[in-house]
Amino acid sequence: MDIELSKEDLKFQAEVEEFLGKHLPKGAEIWSKRAEWFAALKEKGWDVPNWPEEFGGPGWTPTQHFIWDKVTSKHTMPPTIPFGQVMLAPILMKYGSKEQQDKFLPDIRDNKVMWCQGYSEPGAGSDLASLRTKAELTPDGKHYIINGTKIWTTMGHVANWIFCLTRTQTTSVKQEGITFLLFDMKSPGVEVKPIYTLGGSHHVNQVFFTDVKVPVENRVGEENQGWTYAKGLLQHERKGLAGISRSIFAMEKLKEKVIKVPVGDKTLMETEFKKKIAAAEIDLLALEYTELRTLADMVNTGSTGHASSVLKLKGTMMQQTIQELTLEAAGIYGAPWGHNKVGLKFGRSAMEMYLNGRPATIYGGCSEVQRDVIAKRVLGV
Amino acid sequence: MDFDFTEEQTLLQDSIAKFVQENYDLPSRSKLIKTKTGYSEDYWRKFAELGWLALPFSEENGGLGGNLIDTMVICDALGKGLVVEPYYATVILAGTALQLAGSAEQKQKLIGGIIDGSIKATVAYAEVQARFDLNDVATTASQEGQSYVINGTKSVVLNAETSDYIIVAARTSGQRTDANGISLFIVDSKAEGLSRIDYPTIDGGRGSEVIFKNVKVASSDLLGPLNKGLEILEDLRDQAILALCAEAVGQMELMYKDTVAYCSQREQFGHPLSDFQVLKHRFADMFVETEQCKSLLYRATLEKQAGMPSARRVIHALKYKVGKESNLLARLCVQSHGGMGVTEELRLGHYFMRLAVTDSMFGNYDYHIDKYTQLMELPVGGDGEDFGFMM
Repeated sequence: MDIELSKEDLKFQAEVEEFLGKHLPKGAEIWSKRAEWFAALKEKGWDVPNWPEEFGGPGWTPTQHFIWDKVTSKHTMPPTIPFGQVMLAPILMKYGSKEQQDKFLPDIRDNKVMWCQGYSEPGAGSDLASLRTKAELTPDGKHYIINGTKIWTTMGHVANWIFCLTRTQTTSVKQEGITFLLFDMKSPGVEVKPIYTLGGSHHVNQVFFTDVKVPVENRVGEENQGWTYAKGLLQHERKGLAGISRSIFAMEKLKEKVIKVPVGDKTLMETEFKKKIAAAEIDLLALEYTELRTLADMVNTGSTGHASSVLKLKGTMMQQTIQELTLEAAGIYGAPWGHNKVGLKFGRSAMEMYLNGRPATIYGGCSEVQRDVIAKRVLGV
Repeated sequence: MDFDFTEEQTLLQDSIAKFVQENYDLPSRSKLIKTKTGYSEDYWRKFAELGWLALPFSEENGGLGGNLIDTMVICDALGKGLVVEPYYATVILAGTALQLAGSAEQKQKLIGGIIDGSIKATVAYAEVQARFDLNDVATTASQEGQSYVINGTKSVVLNAETSDYIIVAARTSGQRTDANGISLFIVDSKAEGLSRIDYPTIDGGRGSEVIFKNVKVASSDLLGPLNKGLEILEDLRDQAILALCAEAVGQMELMYKDTVAYCSQREQFGHPLSDFQVLKHRFADMFVETEQCKSLLYRATLEKQAGMPSARRVIHALKYKVGKESNLLARLCVQSHGGMGVTEELRLGHYFMRLAVTDSMFGNYDYHIDKYTQLMELPVGGDGEDFGFMM
């Protein structure tokens, strides 16, 4: 048992740090110099870190991925949209046809086409396999006709394309009869309605499909086998949602804030509040090692097993704990919601993060589902 | 980076598990607890023969040169068996103190005996008014020529009754709670003026209040530098906590497994209890928190082994987390068992009692969150962007 990184890994870590130092835009330039950053990443061959080598990815080991996450989490990074690169691409690589790979992967890689995910429905949330959006093959066998609705579609209002789970057959086992389709959001019959979440943000939408015509060549893999394709992705998604490295960074930021919050002649850090931070930090110390242990398992066995459920469950709880503490630290200045920054300046962003942070324990398989998975797969009940 | 045990460590694990399986079913253990000494001398000799007593000691002291991970493996396995032989008092407490601070002569005199099983020892550090503070020492040792004379009472000294030597923390200078001025002495347990009030402890062990009344020791019995005993005690506490938590985490693991197994066969309302989601989710949380405790145990042990400056802070974190989670888990396991959980028939109840005691050793979880909070690293600057006042 030891925790030393190998020489090669240490070298890689230094390389990542050097690269970030040289190319990562700072402060406000994160927006204005985004394009340069992505170009530099592409030139280095690091623009699609999660892609395997045969598809032009860097072919990193699990440890290298971990190092990348760890180093980049210490910086504010230009945002990337995960749907194409992280979520759809692996499915196309594994189950898509050669034509689909050639058609879609290059544009995903270059952020030319923005994707959204058509999974949840009003009647199918955590119980995703209950989905009912119908896809019927036309008599000539050339198209599917889609009718139904998807909900919580993040970025649906700006996305160019959607990857969508549809029902092609009704059987007693609801996981069967699901088909994985890709289509253009500009297709006739697609309608997007915004959903405003707490605080008035617009990230998610409800999308309606009325007789949307999708060419049969846009089906990924076999008809009725879509659940199998999506399921592998879900496990993949879970691990990423834990965001443990980001929580470590957020915890440091929280402490920076709290140390300056006045309480009379003292600061908040000189009150019992410090103990709450300590308790959260201790959980995070443990979680960091739980992730390392999972990583070591992955290196040894090639699979995370059901540890992804543990990481998703605890990781999202940790994110929320930090958000809750940050808001608590802001005190009365969690209330002002206008664009004039008043009082404790972090108050507004604390409230924003607190509100926007709620879905973390809901999406990607809610916490209750993760507990079900652990009970069934790990404990056998 | 890896978290696997070596082949030797796996063998060690197996051999202790085998010993437990062959000798330590609950009725046998209950019988053992009721004997005069509260444990078996035969087993102790066996531990010596198998090298379990020698493992943590360095080779130059006649030991096998094991590291903290080896000790973790031993404590985990002995804890799973609820073994009552005085391994913790003699090897972990006294052995560590000697290894940390002993002179060449002291080591030669005592460590060899501990390794071959002929000497047993313990450490008397606690006092009634001190609660968990190691620096609060009212027991005094005053110098008289070439000797020191010790007066005072020590609390809950484990296995003092069967120890040949008691290492005692006494004040040689300063005020009662001063960090400076504490010294350790190796006292022959048969010394004149030393008396004890012996009692069983609820977890199957033995403890004593040890009373020193003008007990005379030679200056050569001073363990470590004069007045600097607190540093040794703190280092000892770090290692003792690692041992206690290794044991506790192993016990947590067996407790939730026993509970899942019991609730899978126990039927009520026409279903196995494990069909109820409220219990499934409880089990999932038990599993997750046990894994979290194990992660922190590995982290603390590896950091201490590597001599990292953060190790002590992480050890406080460990004692807090394990104290809090293990006792919560223990209570929920008893609850899930219903009436059977409060009987002495299942090992579950014995783990329950042991974990309650473990939390009280060297400071409970409340104490250690305070310690952690004091040592918590705070940022120095910050980017100045999103905090501070704006008028």
